[in-house]
Amino acid sequence: MEPLLHIDNITKSFGSETVLHNVSFMLQEHEVLSVLGKSGSGKTTLLKILAGLEKEDDGTISLSRKRMNDTPPNKRNIVYLYQEPLLFPHLNVSENIAFGLKIRKQSPDVIKTKVEHMLAEIGLEEHAEKMPHQLSGGQRQRVSFARALIIEPKVLLLDEPFGALDAETRVQMQELFKKLSKKMKLTSIFITHDLKEALTMGDHIGKIELGHFKRYESKQDFYDDVDSGAQQEAAFWKQFN
Amino acid sequence: MKKALQILFILSIFFPIAFLLLLSLGRNWPYPELLPQSLSLENWEFLQKSDSKLLQTFFLSLGISILVATVTTALAFITSKHIALSKYRNKLMLLAYIPYVLSPVILAATLHFFFIYAGISGNVSGVLLAQFFIAYPFGVIILNNFWNHKTRAIEELSKTLGSSSWQTFKNVLLPISKNALLLCFFQTFLVSWFEFGLTNLIGVGSVQTLTVRVFSFVNEANIFYAALASCLLILPPMILIWINKRYIFATETVI
Repeated sequence: MEPLLHIDNITKSFGSETVLHNVSFMLQEHEVLSVLGKSGSGKTTLLKILAGLEKEDDGTISLSRKRMNDTPPNKRNIVYLYQEPLLFPHLNVSENIAFGLKIRKQSPDVIKTKVEHMLAEIGLEEHAEKMPHQLSGGQRQRVSFARALIIEPKVLLLDEPFGALDAETRVQMQELFKKLSKKMKLTSIFITHDLKEALTMGDHIGKIELGHFKRYESKQDFYDDVDSGAQQEAAFWKQFN
Repeated sequence: MKKALQILFILSIFFPIAFLLLLSLGRNWPYPELLPQSLSLENWEFLQKSDSKLLQTFFLSLGISILVATVTTALAFITSKHIALSKYRNKLMLLAYIPYVLSPVILAATLHFFFIYAGISGNVSGVLLAQFFIAYPFGVIILNNFWNHKTRAIEELSKTLGSSSWQTFKNVLLPISKNALLLCFFQTFLVSWFEFGLTNLIGVGSVQTLTVRVFSFVNEANIFYAALASCLLILPPMILIWINKRYIFATETVI
């Protein structure tokens, strides 16, 4: 099967520091790839290059077999979501969700229907008229998701989206993402530094360390790799049995 | 205690205004009387006299300050963004303080030769340019903090959601920067409105703004006309303060 996203030998340096070394991998349609990486490993730079927000020094990015290197971010249909929800502060919940549709000049009736549907999906129908500062962290993150999903992006890039949430909200958001991801057949790259979250969210696991990317064939492969940290994590929890 | 402080604060604002108004109505104020001997609207009739040109001066000053503030705000918005994204941000911001380190009058004295050479000394375009030299760095300083990490992330997010640069500017950056832009406009308007030394030097007496006229009346020891001109001088800043309080602080956007 032809991959949706094909990354080939992406390299990026800032000054004398090389942050990505010949990163190559493929992403199938409807696949969620979890990528583990510590701070400074180059994961955010990788996502920003894929979104068109940073320019790679070398390598090729292809989406549906079309070279994307010189395509501006607004033409890629790849949405990059930050750790912070970053809602537009001057727009209410409905208007935030409708943002991408308005940009695409869809009719008001279509926008209204789609926004209502999306509000129901994220369980925020009651909060449609609220402003961002009136929402909790989890609610803001839901709106941020809805705003991205409503435009049906080809690829969704999530940069530690639940990193700032408390444990309980984090679990709720993970469940919501999994539900929506399955329902909307999303193709996404999910960056996290949480091993359990990576295993829960991803169909496949990748790891980025000091700019070098490694994709595991299966979750078992990931577990078997001593350097992945999975065995140490399992051993830690086993001591309480 | 709080109430007393509030009254003191209100008095400190309104007493000078009331006193200016009283003086502008005054006639015949011999020493050692506490107040003028008589009050009339005669001084205010001076506004309508064709040879006084006080109203023309008021509108000329208003025009100059609005133009300086508008151009400064627009250019400072663009410049401050480029500076904020530059790796030399701190060094470039230091340059913005140079006119204030030198002081506007010294800057004007330094540049006066070039104004004469360009043929714009003593005319409105020269005064506009001179005031712009002072207001522009101030505008950059005010707007520089707007371009923080979060603003940049919002701008990038808007683009990945499908907005072009223009759509991002119109639909995102402009609305979220509204308060910063208004603040910059008001501040640079006030810098231009109350500017004296630089305007006097570059205007060489041919371009008389309201602030320059107030000083002229004071130098002539004409306190009644000085008070009258001062009443006009404080009118736009008071309107700006009212707009600021009514429309900006009331609708502050939470980023």
